[in-house]
Amino acid sequence: MTNGGSPSFLEMRGIVKKFPGVIANDEVDLKVKKGEIHGLLGENGAGKSTLMKILYGLYTKDGGEIVLDGEQIDLESPQQAINAGIGMVHQHFMLIPKLTVTQNVILGKREASNTLTAGKEGSSGVLKSLGEMFSIDRKGPQERIKGLSDDYGFGIDPTEPVWQLEVGEQQRVEILKALYRDVDLLILDEPTAVLTPNEASKLFETLEELADDGLSIIFITHKLYEAKEITDRVTILRDGKHIDTVDTADMTEADLAERMVGHEVLFDLDKSEVAKGDVKMRADNLHALDERGLPAVEGIDLEIKSGEIVGIAGVSGNGQKELAECLVGVRDIEEGTITVNDRDLTNKHPRKFIEEGVSFIPEDRLKYGLAPELSVMHNAGVKEYRKKRFQSGPFLDYDELEAYANEIIDKYDVRGISDARKMQSGDLSGGNMQKLIVGRESYRNPDVLIANQPTRGVDVGAIEDIRRNLLAQREKGMGILLVSEDLDEVLDMSDRILVVYEGEVVHETTPEETNKQEIGLKMTGGGSTEDSEGAVATDGGQTSKTEALPTNQDADNSNGGER
Amino acid sequence: MNIDVDFTARQEVPRWLAYGSSVFTILAALLVGAVALVTLNVNPLDAYQVMFVQQLTGLTGISNVLEKSTPLILAGLAVYIPLRAGLWNIGATGQIYIGAIIGTWIGINVTAPSFVLLILMFLGAALGGMLWGFIPGYLRAKWGVNEIITSLLISYAAIEINGYMVRGPMQGGAGNFPVSAVLPSGAQLPEIPIIESHIGILIALLFAVIVYVVVQKTNVGYEITFTGSNPDAARQAGMNSFYIYVMVFVAAGALAGMAGLIEIAGVQDRLRPDFSPGYGFTAIVVALLGRGNAFKVVLAALFFGLLLVGGTSLEVAYTVPSALVEVIQALVILFLITAEFLKSYKVDIDFTMGESKPNPTASAEEGV
Repeated sequence: MTNGGSPSFLEMRGIVKKFPGVIANDEVDLKVKKGEIHGLLGENGAGKSTLMKILYGLYTKDGGEIVLDGEQIDLESPQQAINAGIGMVHQHFMLIPKLTVTQNVILGKREASNTLTAGKEGSSGVLKSLGEMFSIDRKGPQERIKGLSDDYGFGIDPTEPVWQLEVGEQQRVEILKALYRDVDLLILDEPTAVLTPNEASKLFETLEELADDGLSIIFITHKLYEAKEITDRVTILRDGKHIDTVDTADMTEADLAERMVGHEVLFDLDKSEVAKGDVKMRADNLHALDERGLPAVEGIDLEIKSGEIVGIAGVSGNGQKELAECLVGVRDIEEGTITVNDRDLTNKHPRKFIEEGVSFIPEDRLKYGLAPELSVMHNAGVKEYRKKRFQSGPFLDYDELEAYANEIIDKYDVRGISDARKMQSGDLSGGNMQKLIVGRESYRNPDVLIANQPTRGVDVGAIEDIRRNLLAQREKGMGILLVSEDLDEVLDMSDRILVVYEGEVVHETTPEETNKQEIGLKMTGGGSTEDSEGAVATDGGQTSKTEALPTNQDADNSNGGER
Repeated sequence: MNIDVDFTARQEVPRWLAYGSSVFTILAALLVGAVALVTLNVNPLDAYQVMFVQQLTGLTGISNVLEKSTPLILAGLAVYIPLRAGLWNIGATGQIYIGAIIGTWIGINVTAPSFVLLILMFLGAALGGMLWGFIPGYLRAKWGVNEIITSLLISYAAIEINGYMVRGPMQGGAGNFPVSAVLPSGAQLPEIPIIESHIGILIALLFAVIVYVVVQKTNVGYEITFTGSNPDAARQAGMNSFYIYVMVFVAAGALAGMAGLIEIAGVQDRLRPDFSPGYGFTAIVVALLGRGNAFKVVLAALFFGLLLVGGTSLEVAYTVPSALVEVIQALVILFLITAEFLKSYKVDIDFTMGESKPNPTASAEEGV
């Protein structure tokens, strides 16, 4: 071991990784001890996954060094990482459903069959070497896998095909894959995201057992109670930077929340008082599924009034993206209703929402916002081209459409466009793309604007422009739903704040009544929903934790059936 | 020695490149083809004179080129329209065959004045093609079934149906040849005076204009283009991709169906097994080369018509193997596709001496 005191098994020093326009990891340090469960905590986009992909050889680092067990290593592929003793369980499993557990585990790690290679007296050298080259031993690995499974109480039958296993079991097969390769360090990327509470608590037991046997584990999460419960130490990342590494036992969930969310520059915004008008949009008991078919929105009620900004705070992945998509008709609703101006639009086509005066700023501007290969004009007019203004006889009046695009460009100060008809929208900078979308969605004077992360990934100037524009629209009487992971933005802009967690609204408040720490705690599943004083007693945290994730066997048995 | 090749996407395509590349690459392809011709003791200049110049200077040549290009224009448009919507119609072949079968059947079995009969035949052919286009289009729109596979496979069904028709229900004429009866003269396409080519080319050009106007000037065209570019954003903007996907395939089927009928009623006069010399697949290349707009599709189709006719002439004039003609045609296509790539990417090639990997500073230098 290189350094005295508490020796680190893994040391990542000054890791730098740059992507075009973004520094994903900026001089990040990570030290993991032997036999430790080390949490890697941070919001989405904080650089956790990037760091782990570097460690697993999926990305090459632009700077810094990795020392494993006193040896400097340079990883260019996952195979090298595995050879060095690093295993990773991805959020989305890398299993082949048709193959059995054994076949999945030994995939890429063939061992020759004994019957052919064991020095039988009659067997010739050729047969033997052929056997060594091409045969697969099933028995040996199968017994080893069975042994591993029994040792850690996985209860996995190695002969069963993977598609027949439950999600939790499949995850254990992923862990078996790593254990079978004798790894010393195991990375788990948000392992509980796909698990039921019961499965999660079982996973935690397993991890503790593995750690006791000397395995070092890196546990990626953005859920505070998980970090608190399972980890020995936690490294917190924010905006690609290393913020702190702390002993978990010394921290409350509120401490962790504060470090994770951090403080940001506040903008001066003149937020004037605006009289609230009628309810423009109402959603009752909304339920919706995500792409994987899992429940993402689980019974949300909300109202957006004229002249009101309703802020939705939450760690990404808690249903806010799906909620926003439901509210503009892009995502199907499983249950519940949506009305706009008292007209029922439940499961109506997005066009009906547009015609009823609903605008949408999507989270992912290149996926839902723009057709990057088409001109700025095509993109600017996409919500309005059906209007009479743009129709001349049977034809679409492209000259008028171009004029309309230029009006938006001028009014919302979209820069870098010389010819709206020729310039591809994909060639604009991120901030200008976003201004184009915000302009397009605002200029048509909708009644309701659903804005999902309108300022994400744009430069400071554009952020300010976009925020001012939203406030101006509010003054004109537009009802705005603002989904943001930036708590300052939610606090500065909103009239009311709803905190979502795991597809439900867990807390409703106003900017005057709350502060960042409280929201940060609520949105990471900490604190109880009825918590009055805002006192962040560990007990409060524990209660809600138990609710979401039974930690001990008793809780497990008592409410295992209903959840 | 190490060779390091680096591709960089171009921000803007230089004007000289946009226009010059096609000409340059065709010349380059012909240059490579010349090597093969020389080894067969054929003077490449003479050969190319026969293949290209001769066709365009004589009336027969032009007429032949137009007749070969006509189905290619329509079939090319049949690939082009779905391509605008982001879909691949690999099944123009099937739509051609079904159109030809139904159109020919009407031509043989219905008695009406020539003008009316021809219109009926075209309607029938278009409807048949529409049905054959509707199937993959609907499967794609409704359940996301890959349209490349369905449209391709259903083509083979159409080819077999055609084979059955000419051997069974529609078999006609003297002897037991697998052909249909000859179309009555009223059911054959009239000729355009002077250029001695049938009127199919005019029909094809008319539809090219219609397609151009619809795609470039109307709401529907805007929606097709937007859906093709980003279906998710299109849906968010209230466009209905189900309707678009079905519609482009139905329109494609109608165009390809008419292409099939024109080939029978204009050139072959009766239904034969395997009558299409690969129009449906050539149409894919035509549409790719002309994907900018419908008029470019027409140009690409004319060019391929020239290649087909010129190739045949070359075969006859110099008794070169037909395989060689196909090689030259393929070279032209390959070079054109490469040119498309080079138009959008800048290529740097780096030669580094020695065994070692090129170091960053070396590879950062401009290519040779």
